[in-house]
Amino acid sequence: MNHHTSTVTVFAAAALLGLTTSATAAPPAPQAAYTSMSPEELAEYLVFEAGGFDLDATTQDGSTALERMIQDRTQKVCSAINRSGEELDRATAAKISALAEETIVFPEGGVALGDWKRGEAIARSGYGFRIGHRVDDHASRTPGGNCYACHQLDPNEIAYGTVGPSLTGYGRLRGTSDAMLNHTYKILYNAHTFFPCTNMPRFGHHGTLTQEQLTDVMAYLLDPESPVNQEVTETAGNEQASAD
Amino acid sequence: MVKPIASAAAFAAVLSTAALASEVRAPEDVLQELIDNHESAYLTQSEQNIMMMPDNAALWTADEGKELFLEKRGPNNVSLETCDLGKGPGVVDGAYVELPRFFEDTGRVMDLESRLIYCMTTIQGFAPDDPAVKSRHGTDSDMMKLQTYIASRSSGLPWNPPLDHPLEQAMRDAGEALFYRRAGTSDFSCATCHTNTGNRIRASVLPNINAPHEWTKAISWPAYRVGHQQVRSSNHRVRGCYWQMRQPQSIPGSDAAIALMSYWTDAARGQPAILPDMKR
Ligand code: HEC
Ligand code: HEC
Repeated sequence: MNHHTSTVTVFAAAALLGLTTSATAAPPAPQAAYTSMSPEELAEYLVFEAGGFDLDATTQDGSTALERMIQDRTQKVCSAINRSGEELDRATAAKISALAEETIVFPEGGVALGDWKRGEAIARSGYGFRIGHRVDDHASRTPGGNCYACHQLDPNEIAYGTVGPSLTGYGRLRGTSDAMLNHTYKILYNAHTFFPCTNMPRFGHHGTLTQEQLTDVMAYLLDPESPVNQEVTETAGNEQASAD
Repeated sequence: MVKPIASAAAFAAVLSTAALASEVRAPEDVLQELIDNHESAYLTQSEQNIMMMPDNAALWTADEGKELFLEKRGPNNVSLETCDLGKGPGVVDGAYVELPRFFEDTGRVMDLESRLIYCMTTIQGFAPDDPAVKSRHGTDSDMMKLQTYIASRSSGLPWNPPLDHPLEQAMRDAGEALFYRRAGTSDFSCATCHTNTGNRIRASVLPNINAPHEWTKAISWPAYRVGHQQVRSSNHRVRGCYWQMRQPQSIPGSDAAIALMSYWTDAARGQPAILPDMKR
């Protein structure tokens, strides 16, 4: 992991080489400069300095698109590990977990289950935080958590993703003890606490789901009444899953 | 599999150079051969699309693109027949599977779209903001017609982007770093969704960049997107995936976009291109 040259260094190198370009003008022949950078340095340069993205656009959270592209430590380290194809070593894993643990903010008065019906809507919705050619409008529609993109939940839902493990029967297997509530809250807030360099988004840490939304989704996972914890009912066309 | 005669004729119209006709193959045959040789939920996920491929609307787009390529156009009133897509002026056959590549005349690594724009502006004299150049999306744009024609003349040929030039290597390697680069409010990188075989996002089966027989279909653009009812380009797909990632809009023709495509084309090296393709 000696590739973590900071963006600042890259900018400096690029400036030295006289490479500052505008998004519209054709960039000058880049050969000498590009080949003297490491792949990571060049990637950072292409993102931030060479007109690769519309960085000036505004976002829903009032920041600019540029800020979306700036990596935090966890993103940087995990990107490098993924790219190397190597297993995460124990020391780094411990560091990532510790960093994640530090981010967690519990609701005042402790974690309690919210409303599983609202949680279901959040789990199903992939709306929110998209920018660019079509910008999600949070004033007209509340952002969701997009859990179904990656997880099976309700056993009767056939259009579920498999990037993450199946969460069907999640509460049935685990119960609703305080320890379980805290544990699940931490997973949703920042899953790197237990799964360093996981592919699961950090919903609480990024504020893409509010504390209240997190407890609603938790109810969807853990409430004994939630469809997630019921048996499969016979429905027509279960094999139609891939029809769309 | 019996192919309808009409579609065979449509494809024959695209195949004009007799010498290479035996190498350039109908996209449905290329896909079928991949399916016969590999077990892949991604390749087989849409039975309907596989059946419709001989009647792919993009075949007509390719035909229109060929006419446009040969037509005298622009302020200079010349065709694109002197355009060098990397294999010499006017050589279209097999050019697309060897892009992106380094071009001496610009000193840059260029993808098909940026090279076409270069030819249209320098040879034909179009202004960069002329609709012929500027309008990039949709079946009716000149850009999609020309790209589809040029790409279709590489169908069945193995992806083989050159990596001899130091700049080609640098761009490919930076593209790999971009592919694995996590950022934004969802912590996504392309690798989150495209480094496993058989994974799904909702009901869509995801292609794996480390499985070249899947990745060749993934990068076979232009393709007719059934969901959009439009022919779409590589740059359009990149834009869509960055949008899903909650990251800023990718700029076509930028070195970032070209680097990403240098990496993704290298990842399909050796596997035959399916052009034009049909996608969901
Ligand atoms: C981009 C894919 C993705 C999305 C979206 C996603 N997850 Fe996950 N999730 C994962 C992965 C991958 C894991 C497995 C952890 C690991 O080993 O990395 C996981 C693990 C979990 C676990 C822990 C399972 C266990 O073994 O204890 C829970 C609970 C969970 N996710 C809930 C959710 C909920 C609720 C949402 C929506 C708010 C969600 N996830 C959205 C990918 C995702
Ligand atoms: C959150 C998941 C996700 C991420 C992250 C993602 N993609 Fe995709 N990608 C998809 C889905 C879903 C499809 C459509 C697949 C289908 O229809 O079977 C797709 C399709 C594609 C395809 C075309 C394959 C096809 O059949 O349509 C390519 C190429 C591709 N993505 C490249 C990328 C690149 C490059 C990045 C990073 C810039 C990226 N993806 C990031 C989910 C993702």
